[in-house]
Amino acid sequence: MQSMALPIRGYSESTGMLREIYDRMLQRPLPPVYRPSHGGAPGIIQAHSLDPRLIPMVFGTSSTLNGAGPLTWPERELVNTITSRLNQCFY
Amino acid sequence: MIADPRQAIESPRLQTISELAVAVTVAPWTVRRPAMLADDDILHVVALSSYFGHLNRIADAVAVPLDYTVQITPPHADPAVPAFPPAPEMFARSPAIQLAARPTTHAALEAWKAYVLERDDMPPMLTRADRALIASWVAEWLGDGTSAPSDAATSTATYRSFSDIELLRTLAETVTLAPWQLTDASYAPLRARGFDDAALFDVCVVASTAGVVSRIAVALGALDP
Repeated sequence: MQSMALPIRGYSESTGMLREIYDRMLQRPLPPVYRPSHGGAPGIIQAHSLDPRLIPMVFGTSSTLNGAGPLTWPERELVNTITSRLNQCFY
Repeated sequence: MIADPRQAIESPRLQTISELAVAVTVAPWTVRRPAMLADDDILHVVALSSYFGHLNRIADAVAVPLDYTVQITPPHADPAVPAFPPAPEMFARSPAIQLAARPTTHAALEAWKAYVLERDDMPPMLTRADRALIASWVAEWLGDGTSAPSDAATSTATYRSFSDIELLRTLAETVTLAPWQLTDASYAPLRARGFDDAALFDVCVVASTAGVVSRIAVALGALDP
């Protein structure tokens, strides 16, 4: 695991705009890849917490790519896995 | 290319998709039109892989909490893995397939791009000129000659010293070409220059966002018409 780099603010410690945005995101249907077992905000959304306004922008784009075709779900998973592996991201 | 034999690709279609994703991720100017994929399949692979690279970069940049219980030591990114190669030249071909053929993705990415690249914050956060400058570097590394350098990028409107600009360039380059190498040490020089966590995150986001935009432009432009 990389050493602590930039901090994140998770759901429980969030306030104000970040909390509102987390709540908005949690009400949306999330692709399975983002749904965490702990029930809080997905880690990759929390990873954007230093810029809360960015969150709906990025994940609004995500929903146009991850929940839609023409690629099938296994094909999308393949693209994402290959991309992550090459970017050496094991998240 | 994939070292893990458990990922043996069984069908020609999946093999083709995986090769395209590799090209987009490592060297988008090397993308070649796969005969067996329709235009909208190609566009989806290009856009999805480019987008997912942003998530990877942000996860590499911050302390991402794992969403699953770790039973064993999670795999480490190997910082010794060399950076991706920068593009050998700038490519400015009009894309054979337009992102606009995928209108919801296009609209969402345009809004994201405008938020990240067009706003003007007060220092230590990035000004509009800073953002344009970083985006121009990312375009250079990815071979994206499709947008003319903006006036903001070439003007002296960025107030930053030459040495600060070099530090920004180093961090942006790591984000773009070797995001697995991001550590505390990557941020230390700019912290010493007054960049706080939000400003450092902003640098990473600008580089990563510009990367999504340029990667899509170069990959789509590399396709034969």
